[in-house]
Amino acid sequence: MVSTCLTAPKLSAPTLQTLCRNLPLTLPSSTLYSFSRLLSPSTSRFRHHHVPLQRRCLFSTRSKSGNDAEPLRDYDFDLFTIGAGSGGVRASRFAANFGASVAVCELPFSTISSETTGGVGGTCVLRGCVPKKLMVYASKYSHEFHESNGFGWKYDTKPKHDWSTLVANKNAELQRLTGIYKNILNNAGVTLIEGRGKIVDPHTVDVDGKLYTARHILISVGGRPFIPEIPGSEYAIDSDAALDLSTKPEKVAIVGGGYIALEFAGIFNGLKSEVHVFIRQKKVLRGFDEEIRDFVGDQMSLRGIEFHTEEAPQAIVKSADGSLSLTTNKGTVEGFSHIMFATGRRPNTKNLGLESVGVKTNKNGAIEVDEYSRTTVPSIWAVGDVTDRINLTPVALMEGGALAKTLFQNEPTKPDYRAIPSAVFSQPPIGQVGLTEEQAIKEHGDIDVYTANFRPLKATLSGLPDRVFMKLIVCARTNKVLGLHMCGEDSAEIVQGFAVAVKAGLTKVDFDATVGIHPTSAEEFVTMRTPTRKIRQSPAAEGKMGVEANAAGV
Amino acid sequence: MARKMLVDEEMTQTNQEEAHFDFDLFVIGAGSGGVRAARFSANFGAKVGICELPFHPISSEVIGGVGGTCVIRGCVPKKILVYGAAFGGELEDAQNYGWELNEKLDFNWKKLLHKKTDEIIRLNGIYKRLLSNAGVKLFEGEGKIVGPNEVEVTQLDGTKLSYSAKHILIATGSRAQRPAIPGQELGITSDEALSLEDLPKRAVIFGGGYIAVEFASIWRGLGAEVDLFFRRELPLRGFDDEMRAVVARNLEARGINLHPQTNLTELIKTDNGIKVITDHGEELLADVVLFATGRLPNSKRLNLEAVGVELDKTGAVKVDEYSRTNIPSIWAVGDVTNRMNLTPVALMEGTCFAKTVFGGESCKPDYSHIPCAVFSIPPLSVVGLSEEQAIEQANSDVLVFTSNFNPMKNTISGRQEKTVMKLVVDAETDKVLGASMCGPDAPEIMQGIAVALKCGATKAQFDSTVGIHPSAAEEFVTMRSVSRRITVSGKPKENL
Repeated sequence: MVSTCLTAPKLSAPTLQTLCRNLPLTLPSSTLYSFSRLLSPSTSRFRHHHVPLQRRCLFSTRSKSGNDAEPLRDYDFDLFTIGAGSGGVRASRFAANFGASVAVCELPFSTISSETTGGVGGTCVLRGCVPKKLMVYASKYSHEFHESNGFGWKYDTKPKHDWSTLVANKNAELQRLTGIYKNILNNAGVTLIEGRGKIVDPHTVDVDGKLYTARHILISVGGRPFIPEIPGSEYAIDSDAALDLSTKPEKVAIVGGGYIALEFAGIFNGLKSEVHVFIRQKKVLRGFDEEIRDFVGDQMSLRGIEFHTEEAPQAIVKSADGSLSLTTNKGTVEGFSHIMFATGRRPNTKNLGLESVGVKTNKNGAIEVDEYSRTTVPSIWAVGDVTDRINLTPVALMEGGALAKTLFQNEPTKPDYRAIPSAVFSQPPIGQVGLTEEQAIKEHGDIDVYTANFRPLKATLSGLPDRVFMKLIVCARTNKVLGLHMCGEDSAEIVQGFAVAVKAGLTKVDFDATVGIHPTSAEEFVTMRTPTRKIRQSPAAEGKMGVEANAAGV
Repeated sequence: MARKMLVDEEMTQTNQEEAHFDFDLFVIGAGSGGVRAARFSANFGAKVGICELPFHPISSEVIGGVGGTCVIRGCVPKKILVYGAAFGGELEDAQNYGWELNEKLDFNWKKLLHKKTDEIIRLNGIYKRLLSNAGVKLFEGEGKIVGPNEVEVTQLDGTKLSYSAKHILIATGSRAQRPAIPGQELGITSDEALSLEDLPKRAVIFGGGYIAVEFASIWRGLGAEVDLFFRRELPLRGFDDEMRAVVARNLEARGINLHPQTNLTELIKTDNGIKVITDHGEELLADVVLFATGRLPNSKRLNLEAVGVELDKTGAVKVDEYSRTNIPSIWAVGDVTNRMNLTPVALMEGTCFAKTVFGGESCKPDYSHIPCAVFSIPPLSVVGLSEEQAIEQANSDVLVFTSNFNPMKNTISGRQEKTVMKLVVDAETDKVLGASMCGPDAPEIMQGIAVALKCGATKAQFDSTVGIHPSAAEEFVTMRSVSRRITVSGKPKENL
């Protein structure tokens, strides 16, 4: 019963799952973790003397009745995860909770990622969502000071911002969070190995020269910012660096029109930098609802951000005084202290040993996976940004959770990509779920569009030109709400609850039946009575799409 | 159907035939419910008249204003003051984010008050325009019912107008009450509190309802010393007990002095302010004493007894499910019926009334899953059942999911204030019976959750929704483990 850790927990008997679920999971994990730490993996094949009790019972039971077709083979771990970001940590923890023995490797902590640095927590915690949101909080105050004037607050001297306080407090928080993530792994009984993981064969990972075998390997190494090669691009910074500047940028150029570009534009603008955004397109946020794109661009311009549209970067030149100039197809703007590129992110698939083992990647370097996140090598799986599906933390969490269930709970689970809400923490922020108007027309033809564009109560007092835009897209045939979009204060928070409703397939009638919470902005979503326009794909009369503006009174 | 202006003695109009009515509908009271009912009825083709008292921020028997409590003396001015007060905490929070503010911040109450009044005057005008655009005839004056189809409007100059109407709608709302204690005339109600000349330095509030905690937060946020007295152990009776405790904790942490299970017994005028005496024998001095001890329906001066419209013992107009009184031609909506005293509910009742009477569609207001919010700082918002209600009504076990977390903003600001969220789930059907939240943005977050609950969303549907990261709201879709399970017999089992 002792050393029969026969790895493959592909359970067939439901009773075993029940057994596994009902056993207290908290009891052995912490003690066993420290035990497992003592067992440093000095050999490439060490046995699981540290297997928690329930796991041993489980596997010994299985081994007795084991008629699994797969060859039984000893592995160091049931799962070896490369990359301890959102997806990797989630998959590892859940797998361990389901009874698997799990190791995860991650690069040493640094605020700037590279081939040799990373940190437990990954992009979201160290170089993405979290530090970004903290910077957004910091930068939003300048708008609030403005607003507060309209509410009777006065400042003898203008509030000043001290950059170093912010950066120090932000970095302390990141250190705390990376520690928390390590504890989470620790408490789940996952073995954490610091170093760079590389796949040697379908069941072996090399971490800085040490070999570990595993029944399953999970690649969750994420993505990294990508800066296109142009003359002088070495002077440009990416979002990693932008989150960790030691001094305030006096005048910053941001190249790119995606969500990262807009979020940083808001951050730097709020922290009193002069901000120029250069975008290739006519509008920001390609892929978003067209009206939202227009609206957010206008609102950001009103807050002092200068947009340079249809301008592609061609060169950066550093002048004698150290300032930078950016040349585009339309001309040159000089005097930047910083030029930031927010020109996309690429999967971290280089030097992982993927080619040699036969894991296929697409032309962007993203790992190709099936609906269960399995790569072209059956024992190797991938979740999160490295697969370039929908690059959001909660999606990586969903993929990681689903994978753990598939592998270790005998419950094949596909991540569900329908109606995934998302937010852009621009200022004002955007929240959205479901289809854009353009997508809805393409997929459903006949739709009703409800919009509201209003000055929120706060702005009537503050006197600032802040507005809120909201939009519901409804299927004319089924009455289902296909898409919901908002740009304005609290959008990200507001959309979450509506996302439950949209995911559940609720109709416009259901929205209308809900009583408002007064006075809020969110109540507008349940009080939209008259469509702004009805879009009909009428093949009969005109044979082309008609937009019928509804002028009927309320 | 020409409108007739009749003076008293000419008021001989009878209603043998429909064609003889001056109006299809006459509404008394142009607040949320009355304006909604009037506009929608007019849109359905009815000829509608409405009367309202002259405008003033402070209401009385002869003062009101188009827009009603919500716009002039309730939701809107209250929220404006909450916005103003919330900056107090924001400015504190800003410092750890690197903002350097001068030591002495100046707050100009008169400026806020002035802008607040400007805004409600603007809204008053908008409401008037809404009515005129809908073709509703507005009369300024006090309305009385003189017969089942007869109203009389006393105008400012004392002249009386009399009209016949096929239907009469009472939508006169409610007014704040004062407790009968010696010196009560020294105290104020929420009407005056929204229009004080000076910001109090020392404020005493008596009451534990939402109005009391909102004003406590407003004054505290603007720098006053606030003492809040209430009869129960916790404020906000009727809300989920756990959330009441959270609100109490937050109010205290923001510097409000709570005095639970304490009544005020007397107010005495002194040179240094109002001396407040409690039933615990405490004495303290205050610049302002606010009574937030409930509101009563405005049904007294309507002459209802003359036509026999029934009232309940609180003075609320009794109505059936369609908002009809015992007199078939007389209806009532909003706070005057004391059903659920919220603006959006009055709107719903007004809409249903218009549909039922003029839209050819029987429509009962639906009181299930009505969300609401308390704009304390931080706010509370709820929809559906509290844990206690769920247990009381449950046929099967009740699962409670809670999340108690430090909001991300506080990780740097250093503010010690947890956000608490809660879902109450029917263990058998998996339906989410109730949701509550106390923390920043709670009212905005709860609206969408309310749509889901209204339509019977299950916990599984919540769980299958992907989070928006990083937000507070995402906690509602990521509550994986049950905090407790309450069996039908009512015994809680911890940590299942």
